[in-house]
Amino acid sequence: MAGRRVGRLVGPSIVVVGLALFVVITIGPLAWLVISSFMEQQALTTRPPDFSAASFTLANYTGVFAAAAQLGQGFANSFLVALFTTAVAIAVGAPAAYALARLELPGADAILLMILGTQMLPGIVIAIPLFIVMSHLGLVDTRSALIIVYLSFNLPIVIWILRGFFLAIPRGIERAAAVDGATTAQIFRLIVLPISLAPLFATGVFAFIESWNEFFFALILTRQSARTAPLVISQFAGQYQTVFGQMMAAAALAIAPVVALAVLFRNMIMKGFAEGMVKG
Amino acid sequence: MGTLEQRRRRAGYAALAPALLILVLILAYPIVDSMLLSLQDLRAAGGTFEGRFIGLSNYGALLEDRTFGAALSATAYFTAIEVVVVVLLALGVALLLVHPFGRFGIFRIVLLLPWAIAPVANAVLWKWILHANYGILNVLLLEVGLIDRNVVWLGTARMALHTVLAVDIWKSVPFIAILLLAGLSKVPPVLYRAARLDGANAWEQFLHITLPQLRPTIAVAVILQTLWSLRIFDLIFVLTKGGPADGTVFLNFLAYRTTFNFLDLGYGAAIANVVFAVSFVLALGYIWLLQPGLQRAGS
Amino acid sequence: MAEVELRAVTKNFGKVAVCRGIDLQVADGEFVTLLGPSGCGKTTTLNLVAGLEDASAGDILIGGRRVNDFTPFERDVAMVFQNYALYPHMTVAENIGFTLRLRGIGRAGRRQRVAEVAESLELSGVLDRLPAQLSGGQQQRVALGRAIIREPQVFLFDEPFSNLDAGLRIKMRAEVKELHQRLRVTSIFVTHDQEEALSLSDRIAVMREGAIEQYGTPAEVYARPASKYVARFIGSPPLEFLPGRVEGEGGLPVFRVGAAAFPLPLRTAERLVQGAQTFALGVRPEHVVLSPAGIRATVRLAQPVGPATFVTLAWEGGELVARVPGMASFAAGSAVHFQVDREEHLMFFDDHQGRRLATE
Repeated sequence: MAGRRVGRLVGPSIVVVGLALFVVITIGPLAWLVISSFMEQQALTTRPPDFSAASFTLANYTGVFAAAAQLGQGFANSFLVALFTTAVAIAVGAPAAYALARLELPGADAILLMILGTQMLPGIVIAIPLFIVMSHLGLVDTRSALIIVYLSFNLPIVIWILRGFFLAIPRGIERAAAVDGATTAQIFRLIVLPISLAPLFATGVFAFIESWNEFFFALILTRQSARTAPLVISQFAGQYQTVFGQMMAAAALAIAPVVALAVLFRNMIMKGFAEGMVKG
Repeated sequence: MGTLEQRRRRAGYAALAPALLILVLILAYPIVDSMLLSLQDLRAAGGTFEGRFIGLSNYGALLEDRTFGAALSATAYFTAIEVVVVVLLALGVALLLVHPFGRFGIFRIVLLLPWAIAPVANAVLWKWILHANYGILNVLLLEVGLIDRNVVWLGTARMALHTVLAVDIWKSVPFIAILLLAGLSKVPPVLYRAARLDGANAWEQFLHITLPQLRPTIAVAVILQTLWSLRIFDLIFVLTKGGPADGTVFLNFLAYRTTFNFLDLGYGAAIANVVFAVSFVLALGYIWLLQPGLQRAGS
Repeated sequence: MAEVELRAVTKNFGKVAVCRGIDLQVADGEFVTLLGPSGCGKTTTLNLVAGLEDASAGDILIGGRRVNDFTPFERDVAMVFQNYALYPHMTVAENIGFTLRLRGIGRAGRRQRVAEVAESLELSGVLDRLPAQLSGGQQQRVALGRAIIREPQVFLFDEPFSNLDAGLRIKMRAEVKELHQRLRVTSIFVTHDQEEALSLSDRIAVMREGAIEQYGTPAEVYARPASKYVARFIGSPPLEFLPGRVEGEGGLPVFRVGAAAFPLPLRTAERLVQGAQTFALGVRPEHVVLSPAGIRATVRLAQPVGPATFVTLAWEGGELVARVPGMASFAAGSAVHFQVDREEHLMFFDDHQGRRLATE
């Protein structure tokens, strides 16, 4: 509805130009990332770049795993950390979200506000103490340390988003189940969860993406063996001699799975997260 | 065993406990510890930590620290401009997408992409695009004739700051646009109809209906973007490492460098707490804005 | 025996008293309706009986047993909800059999019982469908089936028909009535529809702001309402009240409303004149007849509704609605004469508290 009003604000030609500009500016850099990842160093270092057919190659993708030390290991670490973080965040967060949404706890509002507040923390504040703790525990450069720390920002998000979805479930259904004889745990397990599969999955995807993309804590808490993909890529890009195509290939590999997930689940993500922050 | 209400409440505490425990351990404890750390002169040397209590000296030192002052003003400048530009551009994008021409799903996919890509990957990409000799930006600008020789985008402090600003704006606009889109979709269409009957034209409708209705969403966008601007890190680390000449040392990065490069943990914690304090005040504002929504959602 | 009794039951939400000292007795096998507008506390009362909410004070007894501390399942009650509340991810058979599954009854046993219940509700053909694939009436019957299979001591209904359209509502009403006659389970029904209450109930509890205003049979609340509130709530169209005073005319007592004078029987007059109070008169439209010997008035409005026409009559001092059989037409402003058919049908209420003054 607002669209029609906008339509008369400015002429249609301006809208078309605006949309075109928007797409070009947004997609352009990403398109270049993909294109140049398939181009040879020679082609990229001539002025202007050589776009002839001979310039295109898959060599960057095959070569980057050798050139970028431990890229494969980086991906594996990223995957495992993201997976476990998501699993724990959902396993612990879903019941908590349900409790806050439906189980009428006194003080729920206060707890909710605190959870919301945690989202506002800059990571640096907890990074230093956590680094010291992990050092004492001998957990520096372990995946477990990352998983634990990643929970700190994933758990609140998961709780917040899922709470929004659980609130939307009609109370009557849960009451009917209670009258039928279900315990609270059974209501959650047999009624609430089965009808929430889509939001659960989408929230998991969201947490996975946030974990996969994370850099700061990975930088601080890992050294050699637990390095995640973003870390490997940043180190690779910081080397003196760079094969640009390889650099782009590494970046492309890092973002491909996340982009795929985001596109697949875009509706849920946009709905849950954006609207959860815009309440009312 | 109790009534239904009693049992549900008990189950609720049990369900909430693990999450709260984790959050207290991983968040509450470190926050408190950070305060304590900042009151110490704590350095890491050879794998051990040596510290002594010095009260508020770290904060006192901050007041006289030129680097800190520079970082503070750079951060303020960066944040202020980024927030204004991002929100304005995002509003424009949101309005474009709400227009009949912009209805297609493809545009919304385009919106999600910059958010989805890892900030590090983004930084690496732009490092390549901004490359002085071979970066595509210089190539295009030269071809088009807008410049006559290669620009070293990250060459001077001033240029580096603004280049980083531009890149981060590029990455941030889409998500804020998603936020604003969600807010736009909540404006009841009937308001526009009533205004039209009252004789308002399109511009007046925008001014008197769209903007006021969008105000809470815009406020949320402003606060969120501010918080995110304060946290900028990945881009700096990959593109400039704070340089040239500390021109892109923002508060967050300064805290990191002080702690993990200079190994001065107490001082670094003090800087971190300053960032925290600013974020905290903003977070309070955010929560206060959301309060009515929370209560409504709880009924 | 499954009598239900509420003694001084109170429910507070914070500072607001939603139910104030409710006393209610429902006999075994009786069908009782809690009737009232939204916000009067009827649904909360039902939830208290069900155990979905805890009472702030008072006792709730089912079958003579105090059940305040028991869960709904332990109280052996079954409930039919507004919006049916069917489990959307389960088939009809699974919906109905859910309670058995929770009790640990195996698949074979469940299938048998579910089939029986489904048959009695004509749902045998849709056992494998999901609720979203059913019509409104079918969904309602699944909700009934879910309650019946429990074989509970008490059935509770929470405005189950308010979301149905008129035709379906009347049909479902009949089904519920028939079900009750068949099974004879103690039932408590909540609604705001007075016609529904009248047609279904053995007794009606008319509620107002958290308390029961009157508790009686449909005939009682209809013909002998305890107060203006009850008189207005029951019956359609709603009753209007005419303020007036007792006077003497030609030696006989009359109730004067403007230019109209309603003759009063002596005993009624005696009861009325105790104390200096103003009174209001109410007469149901079906007791107002047009007759040439009556009081003169003009027709303000005529609304034909099919089997009858409701004619609004106006005269100096008041307005009454008369129910005229058939689809009659009256020109606005035309002059007619009306009178009340029987003296017993005159209802008098004191203006102070609104209570009806018994004249029998």
